[in-house]
Order: sequence, then C-alpha cells, then structure tokens
Amino acid sequence: MRNSSFSLTSGTAGRAVAGDASTGKPMEANKLVEKVSIKNLSFFYGEFEALKKITLPIYDRRVTAFIGPSGCGKSTLLRILNRIYDLYPNQRAVGEVLLDGENLLSPNIDLNLLRARIGMVFQKPTPFPMSIHDNIAFGIRLYEKLPRDEMDSRVEQALRRAALWNEVKDKLNQSGLSLSGGQQQRLCIARAIAVNPSVLLMDEPASALDPISTSKIEELIDELKSDYTICIVTHNMQQAARASDFTAFMYLGELIEFGVTEELFTTPKKKRTEEYVTGRFG
Amino acid sequence: MTDTAIPAQTRVLSGRQARRQSLMDKAFKSATAFFAITVLVILGGVFFTLVHGSLPALNAYGFDFVTTEVWNPVTDRFGALAPIYGTLMTALIAMAVGVPTSFGIAVFLTELAPPWLKRPVGTAIELLAGIPSIIYGIWGLFVFAPIFQQTLQPFLIDTVGKLPLIGHIFSGPPYGIGIFTAGLILGIMVLPFITSIMRDVFETVPPMVKESAYGLGATTWEVVWKVVLPYTRVGVVGGVMLGLGRALGETMAVTFVVGNAHRIGKSLMAPGTTISAAIANEFNEAVGELYISSLIGLGLILFFITFTVLALAKIMLLRMRKRAGG
Repeated sequence: MRNSSFSLTSGTAGRAVAGDASTGKPMEANKLVEKVSIKNLSFFYGEFEALKKITLPIYDRRVTAFIGPSGCGKSTLLRILNRIYDLYPNQRAVGEVLLDGENLLSPNIDLNLLRARIGMVFQKPTPFPMSIHDNIAFGIRLYEKLPRDEMDSRVEQALRRAALWNEVKDKLNQSGLSLSGGQQQRLCIARAIAVNPSVLLMDEPASALDPISTSKIEELIDELKSDYTICIVTHNMQQAARASDFTAFMYLGELIEFGVTEELFTTPKKKRTEEYVTGRFG
Repeated sequence: MTDTAIPAQTRVLSGRQARRQSLMDKAFKSATAFFAITVLVILGGVFFTLVHGSLPALNAYGFDFVTTEVWNPVTDRFGALAPIYGTLMTALIAMAVGVPTSFGIAVFLTELAPPWLKRPVGTAIELLAGIPSIIYGIWGLFVFAPIFQQTLQPFLIDTVGKLPLIGHIFSGPPYGIGIFTAGLILGIMVLPFITSIMRDVFETVPPMVKESAYGLGATTWEVVWKVVLPYTRVGVVGGVMLGLGRALGETMAVTFVVGNAHRIGKSLMAPGTTISAAIANEFNEAVGELYISSLIGLGLILFFITFTVLALAKIMLLRMRKRAGG
C-alpha cells in the first residue's frame, strides 16, 4: 500500500524518470518534488509567537502528517498554508511559504485563487445548509459557469472520488445536513476536491468520527494522494503512522523533527520525539 | 430520585416533604400554563371586541367597506381602501429601505468591521431602537420633511417623475409630507430592530462553516449570500417580520408625516393615511355609531393584515426549507 522506501537524499530523486510531458508534472512514483516549501516561518497571535522559525518541505503527492501535543502549533501551521488566518485581525505570519516557487505570504497573492489551489477540510464536518448536489456545486460555481449536465457530471466525479457517490446518488437533492457524520465529512472532502486543488489540508478530519468512518477517511486519503498533496493534522499517532508518508513532530511552536513516517516512529532521532511517539508525554 | 442522588447528608425525604414538593411542582406548572393561556384569552378578547365593535359598519357597508375609497363623516359614508393602501404602501417602502440597509449594516458588523468600530456602531443601533416614536414623528415633520421637500423630492419629481409608465409614482407637487415620507421615516424606525436581529443570527454561524466557504475561495459577499444567509434564514425572516409588524402598526410617527388624507394619490409623494394614523387621528372626534364602528373596523382589518403577513412568513419559511432539501 504505502511505499516505505522513500528517501530524503538525492539518491532516490536521481533515478527518477522524466515527468509526464502533457502536464509537465513528474509522474514517477518515487520522485520527490517539493510542492510547498516552508522557510523560516514564524506566526503571531498578537504578541504571542505560536510558531518559531519553522522550515519544512511538503512533497508533491505525498501525505505529510503534523503531530504534536495540543497547542504545539500544528493547526496554526495548516491555517497558514491557505491563509485562512487572514480572516482574523492581529494574526500575522513572517517568513516564506513557497507554493510551486511562489511565496503565498506575499500581499499580492489573490487569496481566492490561492484557496482554490489549496483546499481545506476541518475538524468537524461543515456541510453548507443546502442540498448535497449544491454543496459540491458551490465551489465549482465560484470559478466556472457550467451548463447543467456538465455540472452534474462534475458533481458526480467529485462524489465518486470521495467514495460517497454510491451512498448519495439517489438523494442528491436532500440537505447535506441529513447525512451521517462520516458521510458529511466525505462530502466536505468531495467539495474541496471538486474545485481541483493541488494541495489538500486536513485539520484532524476524523477526530469527530466513529472508528468505521475514520477508517473510511483514511482509505480515502490513501486513494487521494495519487492526485493531491495532502497535509493532515492529527492527534492520533496511529493514524499518522498509518496514513502518512512523512511526519513532522512539533512541540511548543517549534519543529522538533521531520522525516519519513516509518523512521520517525521507529527510530526517532530526538529524545522528545521518542517520548511523544511512545506515549510518555503529550 | 432525590433520595438516591443525595444519600449521605440529607435523610430520606419524609412523606410530608415529598408531598409539599410535588404540590409546588404542580403549582408551578399551573402558574406557567395560566400565563400562557392568558395570551390566548387576551388575543381572543381583542378579536371579539374588534368584530363586535365593527359589526354596525360591516352590516351597513358589507364587503364594500374594504373596496371603497370615500371616507366622509358628513354623509356617513366610510370606506377603508385609502388607509389599507396607505398602510401597505408605507410598510412596503419602509421594508424596501430598511431591509437592504439593515442587511448591509449587519454584514459589516459581523464580517468586515474592525473590532474598535463594532462596538460603537452596535451600540448606536441599539440606541436608535430606544428613541420613542413621537420623536421620530416630530423630527420627520419639522426637520426631515422640509429638507426632503426642498432637495430630494424636487429631484425625484424632475428625474424619475418624467419617465413613462412609472413616472406618475414620483410626480406631483412636493408636499414634503405624504406616503413616501412616512415610508422613509418608518424605514429608519425599523432599521435597528432588523439590524440587531440579523447581526445576532449572523453571529450564530459557526466560524468553521464560514472558513470552509472562504477556504474554497469564496469572497465575503459569496460567503454571506450563499452560506450565512441560508444558514440563518429563519432568524432573518423573523427579524424582517418583526420590522414589518412594527411598520404596519406604527402610529405616532406616521400620523405626523403621512398627511392624513383619506385618498389614494396617483403619486407616492401625495398625502395619504394609514389605518393606525386614521384611528389615532379621528377616534376622539368620531361621533355617531357608524363612524366609531368604521374606525374599529379599520382596527379589525389591521389585525387581519398582520395575521396574513405572519402566515405568509411561515409559508415562505416552509418553502425555503423544502428547496434547501429538508
């Protein structure tokens, strides 16, 4: 399922074959491309420094998990990546976050377009008070004016991608709120991928769900990573171990360790990481 | 239940205590039920009184009462059409002015305003709600109407009034007072009510839901229009209905500025009257059974109008819920 032989060294990248010519994107599974580069990133809630000089790569079409005890800044980090923090006064980020080489902290960035490229799924399902169909169509309509049948097929496509189609295809006109919690969360994932983002941010996407729904979400994450770069914040270390390729361990606003998930969980380099992943604190 | 919950400190309830407690519970229940039923009784009483009082007029004129424009105490001929028209028209203008403005203020206060501005504006809105209506009336008559007469009204008459088809709505001499002025004053009066309700319900939208919409790349307008508003539709409609109820029934301020003429002018600028203004103005000097009875009949009609408006609001909410998919 998950290829655990990733390496951060240039060795793996070196033997990569050429990318797909039509998209210009590298298709070879083992080649690591930095999709998002976080460099010297600090974040402030007013005077409080919630993130301290974080530097971290996020690789294209891999799952990167952010773990750490509450208040370590992992959600904050996620909220910087699509600049949702911009909605609130007194919050500011210092440093650089490059998305395909473009600094997304720059004031010239068009936030709406940025957020179309970087989708987000939240801790709790947040379906809009409208039908299942319209929940998905909402995002598409923001950018494209499609005729009805084309819109319907786009909606179907997104729902299929989120493994929800079979459960809702007969009740697309019912309210999104009528679904179960796990279905609602997959609806939110479908809604996020309907606008074709390249990065998907997930802030504890399964924390409000039962175990079966959780495993469905995890399967889905595994499916989606062939097309999307995924960042997931999680409290659940098993989930991080199961679902991610890379893991960043954060503590009190600092990045303690970053590495291939398996290595970080089995042979952590830092003592704090070891203590945390073995459950001695946190 | 009590004796299992608090076993150690208090002894098991004695029979007398238990009886007293259950008695108090019953008394509490009947007291609250009594208060609630009182509302129904009062409403029924008002309705009965209105019907009883207006019977002579209804017997004399029948259904013609609501379709006749003439209101002539000298010849004892009374028709309610002009006040009905005035009531509906002033309320309509008030809503046309008040609802979009309130919506704008509420959106600004909840989504856009910097924190230091939120409080002062919010407080000002609430203070606006506390101004007695007679003050609005005096202000409307002595301050607003003269200015309106010399500036906006001639402008409207010279521009919109010259248009074909709809021009006559804004034609005629600038009186200063009239249906349009009353509607504007009412619009200002209902503004604080609608605004504060809209603001309160907008604030009930979970930040995460709004963030999801922003996270898809929606603009503030798109978030407000497509997510916040559907999310809060019940509260918003409630706020608008509260404002509409106030606009339909408002008496003092309207009496000052509406002109109190029992006729339906072709122009909105023309003086007219409303149901409540007519009652307030004429009840004191009404002589003769028919005159008084006709005024009470007006009250009955207002009762029906308000009832219809509320019923329509309920139906609208039901249909909106259906369209949103359950």
